[in-house]
Amino acid sequence: MANTVIGSSITIDGEISGDEDLVIQGTVKGKISLKESLFVEASASVEADIEVQNVEITGKVTGNIAATDKVELKADCRVVGDVRAPRILIADGASFKGNVDMDVKER
Amino acid sequence: MAATKDFAATGESTIIGPSILINGKLSGDEDLTVRGRVEGELSLTRTLIVEPSGIVKANVQVKNAIISGVVVGNISATESVELTREGRMVGDINAPRVIIVDGASFRGRVDMGNAEPRPASERPAQRATSVSRPIVRPAAVVAPARPPLVSRPMGKPQPPAAPVISARFERSEGKPPPPPPPQPVLVGEAGKKKVLLKKKK
Repeated sequence: MANTVIGSSITIDGEISGDEDLVIQGTVKGKISLKESLFVEASASVEADIEVQNVEITGKVTGNIAATDKVELKADCRVVGDVRAPRILIADGASFKGNVDMDVKER
Repeated sequence: MAATKDFAATGESTIIGPSILINGKLSGDEDLTVRGRVEGELSLTRTLIVEPSGIVKANVQVKNAIISGVVVGNISATESVELTREGRMVGDINAPRVIIVDGASFRGRVDMGNAEPRPASERPAQRATSVSRPIVRPAAVVAPARPPLVSRPMGKPQPPAAPVISARFERSEGKPPPPPPPQPVLVGEAGKKKVLLKKKK
């Protein structure tokens, strides 16, 4: 699989950047910037500012999220922070605290 | 709506893809495969695999490391470090087992800890004093340098070129038997002028 996976026992403290999909099952603190999609899985814990194209969150995220395309907060996710994206989906069962801004002209 | 259900199936293995850059501290209890870049600090209780496209500029602490890409920084492994044919590394290695394969490129120090506690009977005549020597210098280089001096106390000091030649020889050929003792003598005669110059010093 060409994807990048941060496994569940991995802790990263710092910056992650790249041009490909990233799956997080572990812990990431700092900053994430991607030109592709980010998947925060149920086991994951992210304390970071996120800049991506798409993000799909099933786990825990603390930090501001800015997506050029879409942010999807799945059921059982826990998100604290501001979310900015043209498309934002919040599923039933998701827990979220923060501002939502869908009026994205330029980030 | 990209479905990502199957990612969990990949299990206990972390992969840093080729276009990913991680800058900071990375730690964990599972195998890590690096195809992209990792800079900063890296500590694992399992195996680090740096693939040919991978670049690690970090101080690394792992159990095992298999390096086919580029590593700049020091590696300390509790078990082994292996530099494969495609591996390139600059930095110091500290591990009980260090494997450097033909074709690998490496600059730095190697420390395998205390020389393995072999019974004295297995050891050649050499004394424990050689333990403090840099391990990089194989015994074969040290050995031929001495007998000529002893056998010919009259003069013809060992030309400095001899150890270098034998070192190169060794590197390209893997592990040949130590060069025959006559060889340095021949070199010395060929370079007699140099030897004379040296005497004048």
